[in-house]
Amino acid sequence: MGEEYSDMTIKINVNGKDYVVTVKPYERLIDVLRYKLGLTSVKEGCGRGECGACVVIMDGKLVPSCLVPAYRANGSKIITVEGIAPEGKIHAIQKALIDSLSIQCGFCFPGIIIAAKYLLDHNPNPSDEEIKEALEGHLCRCGSYLRFIKAVKLAAKYIREGKIYFDVKEVQSKIFPE
Amino acid sequence: MAGGTDLLIQMRSGVVKPKLILDLWPLRKELSYVKSGDGYVRIGALTTIEELGNSFLVSDKRYLGFRDLYKQFATPYLKTLATIGGNIGTGHPMSDAAILLLALDAEVKLSSIEGDRWVKLEDLFVGLRNIARKPNELITEIRFKEIPENSSTALLKLDRRRGHAMGYVIAAAYMALEGNKIIDVRLSFDSIGKPFPGRAYKTEEFLKGKEFSIDTIHESFKVMENEMTRISDYRAPAEYRLDLSKVLMKRCLLLIKSRVERGV
Repeated sequence: MGEEYSDMTIKINVNGKDYVVTVKPYERLIDVLRYKLGLTSVKEGCGRGECGACVVIMDGKLVPSCLVPAYRANGSKIITVEGIAPEGKIHAIQKALIDSLSIQCGFCFPGIIIAAKYLLDHNPNPSDEEIKEALEGHLCRCGSYLRFIKAVKLAAKYIREGKIYFDVKEVQSKIFPE
Repeated sequence: MAGGTDLLIQMRSGVVKPKLILDLWPLRKELSYVKSGDGYVRIGALTTIEELGNSFLVSDKRYLGFRDLYKQFATPYLKTLATIGGNIGTGHPMSDAAILLLALDAEVKLSSIEGDRWVKLEDLFVGLRNIARKPNELITEIRFKEIPENSSTALLKLDRRRGHAMGYVIAAAYMALEGNKIIDVRLSFDSIGKPFPGRAYKTEEFLKGKEFSIDTIHESFKVMENEMTRISDYRAPAEYRLDLSKVLMKRCLLLIKSRVERGV
């Protein structure tokens, strides 16, 4: 039996930019984001919705992009890590993760950042328990879990103080002084 | 395919290789709702666990079992995709939503071109990953009778970790109390002896009409031992599962008592 399917054309808005992409019916959102749009922050960990590395915000909801068929994203708004801060800046969550020394290998980070952003958008002052609940589906094999809790609290503090974005160069110069 | 959190994973593992998939997601406009009235609570089949967790059910002390479901179900990002109809449709024993609905004595509406029919949820399960649904039928709605004021529900599961816990055992219960007397009780587990969710009828019969006390519950354990056959597998041995079923049942009933009396 021959393969009977037709390509589909979908319109998606990723990080504020509109794209028109042709997809196969079996393609996943993660394939489109990574290989067609070049957004490599979206990581494929397990490919079965267990690790949380591929999580993106789609129409204001947290979804694992490895379990969303690409055509379902038609007409939706997607936010990935590339889109949470303007060019040349990093988001308070990213700064907090650096400050709390959470980053080890960094593979789970895109998922953690997106989940933390989703949490802080809904709850500006989360408790330890709420942070644990929000991040429970994200596996970090380096074991930075306890630092994530500190980091999210720190990020919440930054945001409450109005410091949402930080300059990349400034942050870099503090980590790597000339 | 509803949310796809089960089918897509099975396809990825190569367990199932469907030639065609019909994605029901576009029907979400019509089939995602939680409403009450006419004595029933009705839930659309494509209601996600997240929507269920944000519905009026979780703030009603009678339906706090749905809050347990929301808290214990997989992970935040899967709750936005996983649907209640899919949870029933997969026919997997570790289906949290299906077990809670069993305790609520729910009915499932199967719609096809020939019309609609209502099937009791417990009659729907016929085997592992197998439900009594004809190929042309679609699960469209789940309904259960509103439960009285002096009753509540609970769902508990136990696993080593919290996120993504499948559970060694999942237990759900509904109990109605009059003073300290158990007037009605329904207990459901991920498995009673067959590889699909079921109710512990004999244990329920034993508990009905008795005074609520720890001793009564402990006595009912003996009935449950005879009624329930557990399996051993790589995740947990049968003895442990049986013991855990008793413990979770006890915790469920204590939780319900506190919910009925104090609302938490």
